[in-house]
Amino acid sequence: MTALAKDPARFVETIIEDETVVMRLDSGDFFSLKGTGRAVWDAIDGSRDRDAVLGIIAVRYGTTAEAIAPEVDAFLAELCEAGLLQKG
Amino acid sequence: MRGLDRSIADEAKDIGALALAVLARETQVHRGPVACELDGKVRDGEGQWRLADERIVLRAGPIRLAYERGRGVTLDVPPDVDPRNADLWLNGTIYAAVAAINGLMPLHASAVAHGGKVYAFTGPPGAGKSTLAAALGREGLPLFCDDTLILDLSHPDLIVALPGHKRLKLWPEGAALANAHLQEQVQSNYPKFFAQPAAGTVAEPMPLAELIFLEQGESPALVPVSPGERMARLQDDHYTAELFEHAARLERPQRFAQLAAIARLLPMHRFTRPYSPDKFDEGLALMRSHICQGLPA
Repeated sequence: MTALAKDPARFVETIIEDETVVMRLDSGDFFSLKGTGRAVWDAIDGSRDRDAVLGIIAVRYGTTAEAIAPEVDAFLAELCEAGLLQKG
Repeated sequence: MRGLDRSIADEAKDIGALALAVLARETQVHRGPVACELDGKVRDGEGQWRLADERIVLRAGPIRLAYERGRGVTLDVPPDVDPRNADLWLNGTIYAAVAAINGLMPLHASAVAHGGKVYAFTGPPGAGKSTLAAALGREGLPLFCDDTLILDLSHPDLIVALPGHKRLKLWPEGAALANAHLQEQVQSNYPKFFAQPAAGTVAEPMPLAELIFLEQGESPALVPVSPGERMARLQDDHYTAELFEHAARLERPQRFAQLAAIARLLPMHRFTRPYSPDKFDEGLALMRSHICQGLPA
C-alpha cells in the first residue's frame, strides 16, 4: 500500500486545547480536527500506509481495524477531498 | 478590582494608554477637499470604502472622508449638507479604519465592563448588540463601547480593549426592551436614537474577558465556541475584519498565527435567544448571571 502523506505546502496547522485547527493556504478554509479525526491526522506521518494508520487507531480506541475502517476511510477521503493529503 | 490580578489591570492600562493616545492623535478631523479615489480606483456605493497604503477613502452620499496615517481625517461636506451626517461614518468605519491602519484590531461589537474586564457582544446589524449592552446597564454594568470595539494585540498574553463611544445608539424597539431613555435621533436620515448608559461608562483600557456572538435561537442559551470556530468566526466578522485584513496586509500563515493567538487567549460563546420581546428578560438574566457570577454555560 502507498504511504499516506500530508501536503505541508498547502496548509498551516496549530493545536488549541483539544483541537487541531488546519487552514488551507490557497482558500483560507478552516478544518477542525477532534477525537478520532485528530488521531488519524496525527498518525499520518508520511511513512504509514492506510493499514498502519488503521492499526494505530484501533489500538488507541480498543477496537479492531475492521470495525473502525469505515470511519477512518471516510475521514481519509475527506482529507483528500479537502486537498490536505498528497495524492498517492 | 475584584477577581483580577492588579498587575494585569495595570499592564492593560499602560498598553491601552499608548493606543488611546495614537487614536486621539490620528482621529483629529479637519475640513478639506477629498478625492474619492485611491490608486485610480473608486467605489461608488453608499458607505463604500477603499483602503491601501495606510490611507482610506470613503463616500457617504455627498460626503467624502479620507484618513491617512500621520495626517488625520479629512472631511469633505458640501455647503448644503449637515456635517453631522458624517458622524456615523467618523465614529464607525473611519474610526475602525484608523485603528486598523495603526496596528489595532477593530471588532463590530458593543461591550460592558465587570470586575475590571470587558465582555463584548458581536453579531450582524440588528442582532441586538447595543440593546443588550443598554439592558445590562440597567442591571448595573457600565458601558465600555457601542458598536465598535478596538483591541490592542501587542501583548503576547493579554488582549487589551480600548474604551469607545460614550453613548448608545438604539432602535426605539431596542430601547423599549432595555428600558432605556431615548435622547435625540442619531441623524436625520438614520432613525436610531442616542441613549445615555444607565450605569455610566468606563474610561480606562481593560483586558478583554470574552467575546459573545448574538444569534437567534429557540430559547436563551450560552454555548461555548470551539477553538477552530473561534478562528473562523474572527475571520468572518463583518466590515471590521475586512478593514483589518486590508490594513495589516498579512500573508495567510501570519494571519493564521494571529487568529490562533487570539483564539488561545479569548473565550467565546454563542448566545442564542428568540427575537421576541416576552423572552428578552429571560435572556438578559442568563447573560447577567454569566458575566457577574461566572456561571458555566
